[in-house]
Amino acid sequence: MRMTIRTIPAAFFGLALLVLEQAGAASAPVEFNRDIRPILSDRCFACHGPDAGTRKTKLRFDLEAGAQTAIVPRDPAKSEIYRRISSDNAATRMPPAYAGLDRLPDRDIELIRRWIEQGAVWQNHWSFLAPARPAIPAPGGSTWARSPIDRFVLARLEREGVKPQPEADRITLIRRLTLDLSGLPPTPEEVDAFLRDTSAGAYERVVDRLLDSPRYAERMAVPWLEAARYADTNGYQSDGERSMWRWRDWVIGAFARNMPYDRFTIEQIAGDMLPNATPDQRVASGFHRNHRTNAEGGIVEEEFRVEYVADRVETTSTVWLGLTVGCARCHDHKYDPIKQLDFYRLFAYFNNVSDRGLVYNFGNDEPFMKAPLPEQERKLAQLDTKVVEAESRYANLQSAIAKAQRKWERSARRGAKLEWLEPENQTLRVKLADIVFDGKRVESRGDVASFNYQDEFSLAAWIRPDSPNGAIVSRMEDYFEGEGYGLFLLDGKVRLHITRRSTDIALRLETEQAVAMNRWQHVLMTYDGRRKAAGVRIYLDGEPQKLKVLFDELTYPFGPKEPFRIGAGGGEKLRFRGSIDDVRVFKTALSAQQAHAVALKDRVDEIAAIDPLARTAAQADKIALYFLEVAAPKEIRESRRRLMEAQTERTRFHDSIQTVMVMNEGAPRDAFVLRRGAYDARADKVTPGTPEFLPKPARGAAQDRLGFARWLVDRANPLTARVTVNRYWQMYFGTGLVKTSEDFGSQGEWPINQELLDWLAVEFMETGWDVKRMQKAIVTSATYRQSSKAPPELVQRDPENRLLARGARFRLPAEMIRDQALAAAGLLVEKVGGPSVKPYQPAGLWQELAGGKGYTADHGDGLYRRSLYTYWKRTVAPPSMVTFDAPARETCAVRGTRTNTPLQALNLMNDVAYVEASRKLAERMLESHGTPGERIAYAFRLVAARTPNPSEARVLSAALAKFEAFYKRDLKAAAQLLSQGESPRNPALEAHELAAYTGVASLLLNLDETITRE
Amino acid sequence: MSLMTRRHFFGRAAAGIGTAALAHADSGAGPDGGLPGFPHFAPKAKRIIYLFQSGGPSQMELFDFKPELKRLQGSELPDSIRRGQRLTGMSSTQTTFPVVASRFGFSQHGQSGAWLSELLPHTARIADRLTFVKSMHTEAINHDPAVTFLQTGSQIAGRPSIGSWLVYGLGSITRDLPGFVVMISPGGGGGGQPLYDRLWGSGFLPTRFQGVKFRSVGDPVLYLSNPAGFPESNRRIFLDALGELNRMKLEEFADPEIATRISQYEMAFRMQSSVPELTDLSKEPARTFELYGEDARKPGTFAANCLLARRLAERGVRFIQLFHRDWDQHGKMQQDLPKRCKDTDQASAALVEDLAERGMLDDTLVVWGGEFGRTVYCQGRLTPEEYGRDHHPRCFTVWMAGGGIKAGMTLGETDDYGYNIARDPVHVHDLQATILHCLGIDHTRLTFKYQGRHFRLTDVHGSVVKPLLA
Repeated sequence: MRMTIRTIPAAFFGLALLVLEQAGAASAPVEFNRDIRPILSDRCFACHGPDAGTRKTKLRFDLEAGAQTAIVPRDPAKSEIYRRISSDNAATRMPPAYAGLDRLPDRDIELIRRWIEQGAVWQNHWSFLAPARPAIPAPGGSTWARSPIDRFVLARLEREGVKPQPEADRITLIRRLTLDLSGLPPTPEEVDAFLRDTSAGAYERVVDRLLDSPRYAERMAVPWLEAARYADTNGYQSDGERSMWRWRDWVIGAFARNMPYDRFTIEQIAGDMLPNATPDQRVASGFHRNHRTNAEGGIVEEEFRVEYVADRVETTSTVWLGLTVGCARCHDHKYDPIKQLDFYRLFAYFNNVSDRGLVYNFGNDEPFMKAPLPEQERKLAQLDTKVVEAESRYANLQSAIAKAQRKWERSARRGAKLEWLEPENQTLRVKLADIVFDGKRVESRGDVASFNYQDEFSLAAWIRPDSPNGAIVSRMEDYFEGEGYGLFLLDGKVRLHITRRSTDIALRLETEQAVAMNRWQHVLMTYDGRRKAAGVRIYLDGEPQKLKVLFDELTYPFGPKEPFRIGAGGGEKLRFRGSIDDVRVFKTALSAQQAHAVALKDRVDEIAAIDPLARTAAQADKIALYFLEVAAPKEIRESRRRLMEAQTERTRFHDSIQTVMVMNEGAPRDAFVLRRGAYDARADKVTPGTPEFLPKPARGAAQDRLGFARWLVDRANPLTARVTVNRYWQMYFGTGLVKTSEDFGSQGEWPINQELLDWLAVEFMETGWDVKRMQKAIVTSATYRQSSKAPPELVQRDPENRLLARGARFRLPAEMIRDQALAAAGLLVEKVGGPSVKPYQPAGLWQELAGGKGYTADHGDGLYRRSLYTYWKRTVAPPSMVTFDAPARETCAVRGTRTNTPLQALNLMNDVAYVEASRKLAERMLESHGTPGERIAYAFRLVAARTPNPSEARVLSAALAKFEAFYKRDLKAAAQLLSQGESPRNPALEAHELAAYTGVASLLLNLDETITRE
Repeated sequence: MSLMTRRHFFGRAAAGIGTAALAHADSGAGPDGGLPGFPHFAPKAKRIIYLFQSGGPSQMELFDFKPELKRLQGSELPDSIRRGQRLTGMSSTQTTFPVVASRFGFSQHGQSGAWLSELLPHTARIADRLTFVKSMHTEAINHDPAVTFLQTGSQIAGRPSIGSWLVYGLGSITRDLPGFVVMISPGGGGGGQPLYDRLWGSGFLPTRFQGVKFRSVGDPVLYLSNPAGFPESNRRIFLDALGELNRMKLEEFADPEIATRISQYEMAFRMQSSVPELTDLSKEPARTFELYGEDARKPGTFAANCLLARRLAERGVRFIQLFHRDWDQHGKMQQDLPKRCKDTDQASAALVEDLAERGMLDDTLVVWGGEFGRTVYCQGRLTPEEYGRDHHPRCFTVWMAGGGIKAGMTLGETDDYGYNIARDPVHVHDLQATILHCLGIDHTRLTFKYQGRHFRLTDVHGSVVKPLLA
């Protein structure tokens, strides 16, 4: 018999049915995508699925054509698939025991039987087909629905025979709304204003007010930072600091300005590639530099560079496509039609950034850019102007200078001996005229000339070598390439070593030219403190030398443990032979002109005697320098000093401006399929491209990262809009319409209400990806506004509230719990953006894992900023955040967990941050002057928006009385409790009373209701 | 799973200590939670004490005696041995790879005749209780990926640690303490490779399964102590009032999360007394400190942590993991290695003996080892006073003792250079599978579905090392 399996695309299918009814009556229609695909995917695809590498036979259940041989529609008994899964014979039963899988549950077997019986109708995977705008259903008999959202929800509820809940009371509503949209609780005044405003549109006006507040942007930024794995350190074990807060502030700004999501996407994926990209757009591209980077000495560079590119692919797929593309890194995807090739074609888009595998541990690594704030830009412009003005004033003096110098020279050549010195910057000068270095002699000068890799310094000496190998000066461990710095002759060439560890953390370079033997020459090395070979100059007899860079990886400070030595360093074989004299060390990198002056033995008065036209360049430099520094008329010296100061000031300020790591397109790098995902197992070369099962990029679109970014937000892309609105839904309901918000593939959950999801997605795209508009659409719906109280039958029937027949009730995210406490206490310092801050943290957390200086908490404002500004060290994340389930920021996270643990209780009861907040909340209570009952009610309103009912008030008053009795007896305890936290205490308040109220305030901050959004 | 059972499961699962377990004190199901069907078979061990030596202790100096190397001292490591093995960025720029023999003596000990370094006299004393696996190998060559691999079965961050897996599968034995506890000690130098919270993290498992770090400074558990001026009597008043208010809320909403929250506050209160009792060593007899060494009196030392490990084990903690840092001897082997051994040798042996004396060794699995081994060739300077060794993933040694493991044997062998494995290789995934096996778990059946995939500790690899099993 010929087999026919009708194919009906998922999008054409009727309304989504709830999982709740899945195992319903035997006659209920079975639907492939909802009921069957999940079973096949989970239990069969591993061997009969998309991965060609592990597919055991031609039989595959991910494609309709592949499954045909095993299915006879309407005849389960003749269908091989049914015979095998229902078999009692362990030898023939599928899935087989050797695959580590148990027999299918009876329920699944029965579903498959019924599906076959009903005709085995196949459907393509729902999320790979573009969403079409579904017709808005018109469920009858209710005035409950306010918007299309509600009609989709209600249509579903009608079928289930469930009624939605009425609107929540207004106090609950405004608290819910204010927490959801601003991340902070409403003030009693805001609550009162809303209660008073009984006119139409009062609710919408609150929504608009909240959406217009900068707090909205901060609130929206948090889940985005988690998805973007944003942090203040690099991660991996060295976990040094980086600076990405300018990117974080870009995100906040984008939400505040309501940047359309398509532009938001394009700028973050490829802002650097936009035509005439603005600095802001380049900053946006920092999104894909937020991944962890490794500074551990000894790593294989390419291994980690590949890791970073893979992270970009995986993060992009999760955030925009809702696909677990990472599974295809090592082999074809087991469940979705993503080939290993697809992974590496996506990889190729992100592969041309000129970043490195081994990064700098103490700041941003290339590529990065200066990202001044507007006020910094203004100041920089002022300083630039100052430099230009000083330059121009000095330039105007040139003829006067020349004249004055000629005049002075006439007296100088008849005057006393004059020598140019650099006394201010010179830290050491040693004359050794009589000493012969015989290959054994070492001249130690102790703990002087101590420099590190971020210090400028210069080393100079006269040498008369007898051997082409020997140390000139050094401060280092006395063996070849020991830790420290040293200037040597090696094969006659002048060689500089600055070493932390010779094998991988060092700077080494040498002159192309060798010095002459048995002749006095002057050697000078200058280093600019910027840890790169490009910042080194070597002069021979005052002339700059061509340098050969041998090693350029000075990424860690070094410890100059041993004394400053002349003629030694680098081991016994490198003791100098010959003479060394006039060793000079400077704590600056000398300029070329200064180099000339240092190297020239001619005295200034002698040069003055030479006809200016007959002088060498070095002579001219030296006398000019002496004149300008020492002998010029005051007006000239002042003008020159002002110019130099202006330049220094400008440089210093420019150096102090923060940078941010960004994307760039460096030299194109070839991309390859990597076997098993291993960096060194290259297979076929690949070009960039999108997976074949998804719509192709628009015709003529560039096959580069920018083209890819545009493809992500192309109207034809079936995933991006759905995945995004689903995350918004998750924000307001605790769970997305697709519960697995990170996985819209075969193993992900089938949407609980696909029509609603598709309507939201289409609406989002067709209204210009308007983010605020989408938030407003959701929070103004009747669905959102429902009471979260529900009859027990409903809670029992739908414990996870997937039907949406009530409002969502869930614990606040970590950052909101702390921010709310700060707000209620009146401690919160609201300031948008800026460098991350360090609030309280138990002592020693950083040291016990990593040693070093550890964590130093801020004082003042830094203790009270919103939690999204808290400094995030990846390897030791802020404990009060992770205790409340904040993702660790190591990799992309779009769906958190919510746990309920004793550590959370301890945190809220005993963390100084909450004890202090309780103390300040208590002050507010006492300052509010009323009866004790009124004070309690006031604080209750500050944390929960409502006033306590009489029973609650009774419990709280009783606790207050007990605390008061205790602290009256024990004033010392009161003083101790009130000393918690750095904020000042109102001295006008009685200690025992304040302590007792602190206890009650802490109680309020610990209430289930307080940390829950109802 | 029917909806109500699922809800019941989740409701129960939502409890727990933040962090591993004290699961579901409210469920009335007894303290031991875990997944249905676990353990898969009768376990030999109930708990694990894992003495992790972070940095890569040198098997060449400690366990893997290679008498031939004296003769080969200073000679170049032959390509036939190195076989193109990749090197770290630290020694890949080295132009010469001179073989260097251990400068510490070895001798045989016990009935089993195990060869042990003179640096480990106490370990030598209990050699017959231990089983040495000299043929461990791993895939990573740098600390972070290698420790992450050993702890989570993957080099890439984000997977649950072995302790989290265990508590997820088996649940907790105690109601008053976490099921998974971590303690850290710095090497004597106070430095060494950093550690990171993710090493005992729960990855994609709920965060309540993550290890709770017991600290030697400040509160042993973060935020454990009441604030100064707020004594226990006030805390009781506080909790009574809080419980009453939360129960009113529960009446109103019937949200099981509220019930869980009420019980978690009570659990927190119990921990406030159980943890200080646990960490108070003042009642330990003098004999204890003779056994573990005087170091055990100093909080934060490896010795003190070993003693605490025994006390945690007595109180029913499922997985206790110690991390001792600073085993990364790239140089200064002669100077630094003896110090690390002095930090750890006596207390490690004492712990095994102490457990045995108390009859607990039979159902406690003790594991001692690092993340990889060290090279036979010298890294950096080779002088009479100084030498060092680079990271070496191809072979290293761990020892195990107690529940489920044979005593007094050695498994595996390396070649004459101690560079490649000659016999019975044991991969990290094999070690993990074996550890789970001792606890009654089939490693292929301890899985968690995440991002559409059934993940497990051993990825898709690993097999139980049968010869090790008692």
